[in-house]
Amino acid sequence: MKEAKKYMNPYLGGVLLGLVLIAAFWVSGRGLGASGAVKSVVVAGVETIAPGHAETATFYTENKEGHGNPLKSWLVFEMLGVLVGGFLSGALAGRLKFKVEKGPNATNKIRLIFAVIGGIFFGFGAQLGRGCTSGSALTGMAVLSVGGFVTMAAIFGTAFALAYFARKLWL
Amino acid sequence: MKKMNARLLLAAAVIPLGLIIAAVPENTTRPYKLTAEELLNEVSEGQQFMSPDEIAHMIISNDPSLQLIDVRSAAEYEKFSLPNAINIPLENLLSEEYVDILNQDVKLNVFYSNSSNQADQAWMITRQLGYNNNYVLQGGLNYWVETIMNPEKPAEGSPNEEFAKYDFRKGASDALGGGAAVSASAGSGTQGNTPPIVKSKKKKGVQGGC
Amino acid sequence: MGPLVVYEIISENTNFLLAFLIGISFGFVLESNGFSSSRRLAGMFYGYDTTVLKVFFTAAITAMLGLLFMSLFGWLDLSMIYINPTFLWSAIGGGVIMGIGFILGGYCPGTSFCAASIGKLDALAFIGGLFIGVFIFTEGYPLWDDFYKAKFMGSPTLNEMIGVSRGVLTFLIILVALAMFWVGEWAEKKFARKDYTINQR
Repeated sequence: MKEAKKYMNPYLGGVLLGLVLIAAFWVSGRGLGASGAVKSVVVAGVETIAPGHAETATFYTENKEGHGNPLKSWLVFEMLGVLVGGFLSGALAGRLKFKVEKGPNATNKIRLIFAVIGGIFFGFGAQLGRGCTSGSALTGMAVLSVGGFVTMAAIFGTAFALAYFARKLWL
Repeated sequence: MKKMNARLLLAAAVIPLGLIIAAVPENTTRPYKLTAEELLNEVSEGQQFMSPDEIAHMIISNDPSLQLIDVRSAAEYEKFSLPNAINIPLENLLSEEYVDILNQDVKLNVFYSNSSNQADQAWMITRQLGYNNNYVLQGGLNYWVETIMNPEKPAEGSPNEEFAKYDFRKGASDALGGGAAVSASAGSGTQGNTPPIVKSKKKKGVQGGC
Repeated sequence: MGPLVVYEIISENTNFLLAFLIGISFGFVLESNGFSSSRRLAGMFYGYDTTVLKVFFTAAITAMLGLLFMSLFGWLDLSMIYINPTFLWSAIGGGVIMGIGFILGGYCPGTSFCAASIGKLDALAFIGGLFIGVFIFTEGYPLWDDFYKAKFMGSPTLNEMIGVSRGVLTFLIILVALAMFWVGEWAEKKFARKDYTINQR
């Protein structure tokens, strides 16, 4: 089996990520993010498929006031870039492969089910917390926002606390 | 082993940088928007002036876009001020609490002082910061009192516009609580157009989150 | 002076183009550091792989330093950048729920996209879950509307709260981060797993 190329030194990686974050601020005045793009797609979807509902339901009307066309959003373009960038890096390093990643004691089925469940929680939580680890925690910390620190502490604290119960998935 | 070195390297880099950034005071200067030349052009054209007639007209017709700003000291403001004027003493002009009043595109701010010196100064400073919609009452309160409050009746044989102007000012003076005497016609006559309020593209607040 | 789009040095559309390019760099860096692997991300919470800690906090302190230095040199107007607002209850509540999602799903949104792009099927499943989760939130919005908007504290920054300058806080966080890196290295040795290689330079 071809040995996959090594990953980058994490400290170097961190510096590079920090530079990307700085660039984002310098260009657009905002940092990175991810969950917002998912929200934009959901909103766009609902507006297309059920426009009547979108005009009455609270979330969509409130959202419309703040943002215009949901898909013409900074985060949507950024996430498209993430897909390309991730692919490029994977391709260059020989890591492109369809697989289900999991711990040695879990089956594919269990892993996939929990991946979906985890996604549901995370999607909901990201909306509630106004950001995910990229948008709220990382970017928030970079600007020293209290909300950012609080959200980050909550995410990591909870994950640590529950790690024991989820250990079958990973260990 | 390489990772150990990277960590130390990182530490060696960020600690001094951190010390520097902790020690140096923050940069809070606001950049100047206009070059000296641009400002000189505007000053030469004198577009920042609004005549007392124009202002009186706006006051009488209750023009909601007018906002008079008295840049003299608080004591002088207390003694006498124009209708609905607010007081921003010149030395407090750059205070944070007034930024939203001075840098906006809804109201027509008109600075005034006794002559037009202080008002002019206020205008120059705010103009240099790139604010629009700020003007200066030409001649200040001194001229205002002369023309509006105690308008001089034009001599016989003066052109009709002079009389029209006089009538208007008389009417204004009454409306504003100035001298005595009746006006011939209370009609509002021809007055200068109030300068258009420039929709300054206020720097869009950045949207973020998610 | 930056931000470029605020000072109208670039147009809105250029901003979107740059968003795309920045996204590419973001995805590239994430993947090159192994954030496309859910085992690696989860490893953070079991100690056998603290890459997340190192990359995350190094990025945070780099960005903190970078933003402050850029402001110092007049390249960036800090008063114009977006500071995440603080809604205390939803920040905590959302964080807890995300924490559950993280440990069960093994990804966060950004990394899941990154992993999906190299073919990880569990990442695709996670993304599917994301859409469902967001949809549940938006549809049931009136139910948690009040909680979502509760305890709005404006956009306070941590340094304001504890009464120091940004620079001083940055320096303190740098020290904390470095301490955590040392602990992380120790943890990796102690909790190393036989079937897992960190595979880093």
